[in-house]
Amino acid sequence: MGIGYDCFETARLLRMTQRIHRPGIRVYLRLKESKLTESHVIQTRELRKRYRPDIMAVDGLSMRVKRGEVYGFVGPNGSGKTTTLRMLLGLVRPTSGDCEMLGEAPGSPEALGRIGALMETPAFYPYLSGRDNLRVLARHASVSYDRIDPVLAEVDLTRRADYRFKSYSLGMKQRLGMAAALLKDPELLILDEPTNGLDPAGMAEMRDLIRNLGHGERTVLLSSHLMGELEQICDRIGVVKDGRIIREGTLDELRRGERLKLRAEPVAEAIALLKKLAGVGKIDAGDGGILMIEADPSRAAEINRVLVEAGIQVSELCVVKLSLESVFLSLTEEAEPLG
Amino acid sequence: MDSLMAELLLLRKRVGNWVLLGFWLFMAVLFSYLLPYYAYTSDLNFHGRGVGVVLLIALLPQNLVANITNSFPFFGGTMVLIMGALAMGSEYNWGTLTPVFTQRAGRLKVFFAKILALAIALVPFVLLVFLLAFLASVSISWREGQPIELPPLWDLLRALAAGWFLLAVWAAFGVFLAVLSRGTALAIGLGIIYGLVIEGIISSFGRQIDLLKQISTVLLRTNGYSLISSLGVTLPSEAGPGGFSGESVSGTQAALVLAGCLLVFIAVSAAVIRRRDVSGAS
Ligand SMILES: Nc1ncnc2c1ncn2[C@@H]1O[C@H](COP(=O)(O)OP(=O)(O)O)[C@@H](O)[C@H]1O
Ligand SMILES: [Mg+2]
Repeated sequence: MGIGYDCFETARLLRMTQRIHRPGIRVYLRLKESKLTESHVIQTRELRKRYRPDIMAVDGLSMRVKRGEVYGFVGPNGSGKTTTLRMLLGLVRPTSGDCEMLGEAPGSPEALGRIGALMETPAFYPYLSGRDNLRVLARHASVSYDRIDPVLAEVDLTRRADYRFKSYSLGMKQRLGMAAALLKDPELLILDEPTNGLDPAGMAEMRDLIRNLGHGERTVLLSSHLMGELEQICDRIGVVKDGRIIREGTLDELRRGERLKLRAEPVAEAIALLKKLAGVGKIDAGDGGILMIEADPSRAAEINRVLVEAGIQVSELCVVKLSLESVFLSLTEEAEPLG
Repeated sequence: MDSLMAELLLLRKRVGNWVLLGFWLFMAVLFSYLLPYYAYTSDLNFHGRGVGVVLLIALLPQNLVANITNSFPFFGGTMVLIMGALAMGSEYNWGTLTPVFTQRAGRLKVFFAKILALAIALVPFVLLVFLLAFLASVSISWREGQPIELPPLWDLLRALAAGWFLLAVWAAFGVFLAVLSRGTALAIGLGIIYGLVIEGIISSFGRQIDLLKQISTVLLRTNGYSLISSLGVTLPSEAGPGGFSGESVSGTQAALVLAGCLLVFIAVSAAVIRRRDVSGAS
């Protein structure tokens, strides 16, 4: 199994076979084509979930996760992340819309057998040891007991494996959840807020673990309400708000929104003037006459000239790179109804 | 098969189930043998008056079936109702349906594995109580210098099967209540109140009110006692929580009604489990 084969790659292969008519290549190509249909590991279309007439938890969510990527699913609490992930796992039935997991129906044995999941706070049988808990799950997954020791070692839980689950600290519970998710050596890992409730050291540890797991051909779908947490791990991020993806892209694509930071006096006149300029987007006024302007950085000189010519004092003008966190905040707040 | 092994592991490692088993064995032997025998030995008035002899005869090995099966319809039923409700309801309390349903086995497969595991777990409840009862009756007849006569094998087998069947119905009732209430507490509470209060009231008023009499013929306890009485068992007196005072129906009818209940409990639970959304721990 390779990394995702996109259309470009297939087109190249097609051209190749047009030139070289050798049967071996054709077989090779056919193999590639069957993979092609699966280059999207997760695909949802207009997924909706209404829990009660007044609770629309997920509202027309469409997303695609490519094979081999680490996809971050980020949104404030209550934005519908968990509900979406539960629908992907077949735990919750969508009200409408459809989704496909690894080319199979969500919740089907064919799909589940290749997916490892850790949902919110890890749930286990408290009276069983960590190892026995994994035994139970391994049985239900038809996975050999031989997998248990390696996954316990992977999450560094070997020493406490024979203690009862109820004696575990939150960090250990979370690590056992991770071990359970890895039992099937899955192609796709679905992790719902895996660092929730952990202390900073535990969070860093979990992040390292996830980063290692996301290497190679394994696909990871990871949710969080903290952008900063995903920033360091994810290849691509979808920002969820009110049950919909309001922005999706690679880190660079999301970060692209650079701003001009401007300190000017008098502020009100400066704002009035800037608003008339073409190509200037949103203007946020901060304390001490500082303005954050959505505009192409290359226009800094022009903006400076316009202001100065109008008799406005410009004491500072520079380009600011936004952190993902602030992109996230501005995205999720922006969409909020005023008042 | 794999899921069945998982469910058996869950039942086997749960201390509460062993407590229930121990409690059931102890109470059944206490009420069926130790207390009656104590009454017989301490109340000298019985001797030579015939009553005492009747009491003693019930405790002898040849009457094993009649004496011990009395405990199944109500007391044993309540014990395994708790076991069934715990096995199913805990999954909701702990949120463990989420990891279990995201392995590979489908929901129905897991559910029927659990039902089958419970059915298997009931076997020691039946066998051990008969074994202990047998030991108790043999010791009593030995102490009293009575000849040891074993019950007919066919009667014994029939009684074992009936005992297991009665327990199965009650355990399924526990599972059913746990699925509907998504937890253990309400399921156990409702189950015990049903067995102890509701059935008791309906069957005792059933003697006066015709409608209640009709209703009582589809209740678990009434049918349970009817089933074992068709095996030639003397019913317990009317006093006490497990007392039986309702209308008796024929053994065949009782078996059919109970089988119907068992089917309904399992089928409804399975249908609900298959359809209902699984969210986190409650
Ligand atoms: N089982 C449920 N019943 C009713 N409402 C629910 C249920 N689960 C979640 N919700 C509601 O759906 C919305 C989305 O919740 P959730 O998917 O848990 O969001 P997130 O994981 O992003 O915090 C919330 O408003 C929540 O209250
Ligand atoms: Mg959540």
